[in-house]
Amino acid sequence: MKKYIFLIMAMFLIIPAYSSAEDFLEIPLMPEGKIIKKTDIRLEMKVNTDNDVVIDFYRTALKDMKDIKFREWKNATYIEDDSNRPWHSITISKNGTDETSIVIMKDNWTWIISTLVIRFIGVFAVLLILYLGMSFSGGILSRLFKK
Amino acid sequence: MGINEILDMLNGILYTTGVFNFEWNVVIMWAVGLLFIYFAIAKKYEPLLLLPIGFGIFIVNFPLVPLMGVEHEHRELLQIFYHYGLEWEVMPCVIFLGLGAMTDFAPLIANPKVLLVGAGAQLGVFVTFTGTILVGFTLKEAASVSIIGGADGPTTIYLTQHLAPHLLGPNALAAYSYMAMVPLIQPFIMKLMTNDEEKKIRMRTLRPVSKREKILFPLVTAAIIALVVPSVIPLVGMFMFGNLMKESGVVARLTDSAQGSMMNIVTIFLGLSVGATMSADNFISWKPLFIFGLGLVDFAVCTVGGILTVKIMNIFLKEKINPLIGSAGVSAVPMAARVSQMEGIKYDKTNHLLMHAIGPNLAGVIGSAAAAGMFLAMFD
Repeated sequence: MKKYIFLIMAMFLIIPAYSSAEDFLEIPLMPEGKIIKKTDIRLEMKVNTDNDVVIDFYRTALKDMKDIKFREWKNATYIEDDSNRPWHSITISKNGTDETSIVIMKDNWTWIISTLVIRFIGVFAVLLILYLGMSFSGGILSRLFKK
Repeated sequence: MGINEILDMLNGILYTTGVFNFEWNVVIMWAVGLLFIYFAIAKKYEPLLLLPIGFGIFIVNFPLVPLMGVEHEHRELLQIFYHYGLEWEVMPCVIFLGLGAMTDFAPLIANPKVLLVGAGAQLGVFVTFTGTILVGFTLKEAASVSIIGGADGPTTIYLTQHLAPHLLGPNALAAYSYMAMVPLIQPFIMKLMTNDEEKKIRMRTLRPVSKREKILFPLVTAAIIALVVPSVIPLVGMFMFGNLMKESGVVARLTDSAQGSMMNIVTIFLGLSVGATMSADNFISWKPLFIFGLGLVDFAVCTVGGILTVKIMNIFLKEKINPLIGSAGVSAVPMAARVSQMEGIKYDKTNHLLMHAIGPNLAGVIGSAAAAGMFLAMFD
């Protein structure tokens, strides 16, 4: 009986320790990382490894998740979630040193609304350019054939 | 042969029939299919598409029918149409080629200002995106659902196939259903958003457009779209190529094929394969219901966006535009333009708005393609 009680107690001790392996918005954090700043919507941390190791870590951590996009920017690798998970992006710096910064952002309405507004304006811009293109080419055409 | 063997054989035969594999959820899909067949035949709502879509839904929802499966790398009939036509994104582009060969852009070339109305009428697309996210769709699903408001079937199919292929059936069906219902949805919004004075605004007769301008238009448009939103050039490029063939006047045989037999063949395969994606397992869930609900809101907001854009433009223009043509900024060519005409003559019997409304109507096609391009760029 004592053995069972001991086992049950051990389980209670072990399970919370396992589940509290650090994460932020369901994204695992690199164990050796140092958290610089943490709010409800943003976490910034630094790790003493190069960019490739961090990217490999997140590739493995996210491999079973659908709709994840890895974008290579000049100064960072940007991982974006295109579905509806609690996090929106992970930005991993690329600075050629052994210190890499990681920024995890919560999925937020500011991003959604701003991207939509920009894209709506983009549609206007496309048609405005077309309007200008038509006016310009029409003008050239009419001058050419008047002569 | 003993009686048991005969019974076993009979049993084996019976289990290869659909009757013994029947599930009740398919009955709902038969009803949906038959409803669309009814709309097509009795109500004449977009019959060219709703009839094959309705039949596709109906026939694919019988148990064991070898239509949409893939066995040992062998694709079944409708799966072949779906795979090569839709997964390869061929059919929407070929439809656009045919549409281009049928379209006269003169009203848009004569009054290019109305291109902005086509952009304003995409308002619903972006508003609905937000609503779709709120009810729990993913970003890609939200983009594919919101493009329904652009009222452009091929663009909806093209974008959905790219971003959320599992929603292809409901999205295409919602897009074509609302296109068919333009005369029912738009007049109320038009009435609500314009006063009597605005409804009676007369627009100057459009100037004649030379053949050279008509030839130049598809080239300029294709070049600009290729530069600015390259992701939709398969659609817009085909659209403009079809139009160039028509306006050049030197390839009458090709133009005839593009707008006639080829378009008809592709429409049959497109309708059947879109319908065939709607098996009971895919369709009977909360998402299609929301798609139909949100699609209606989307379409209404797009109409509002078009009318509002004209009203804003009128603040700056000396020669005012009749806001009734703003609603034609949603694509749905030429139905939306006809609605503008019908509403216009209700208030002034001699004020014919049809040709003026065709301009924003065509701008809406380009606008919805541009909006689709914006979404594609967001995820690529």
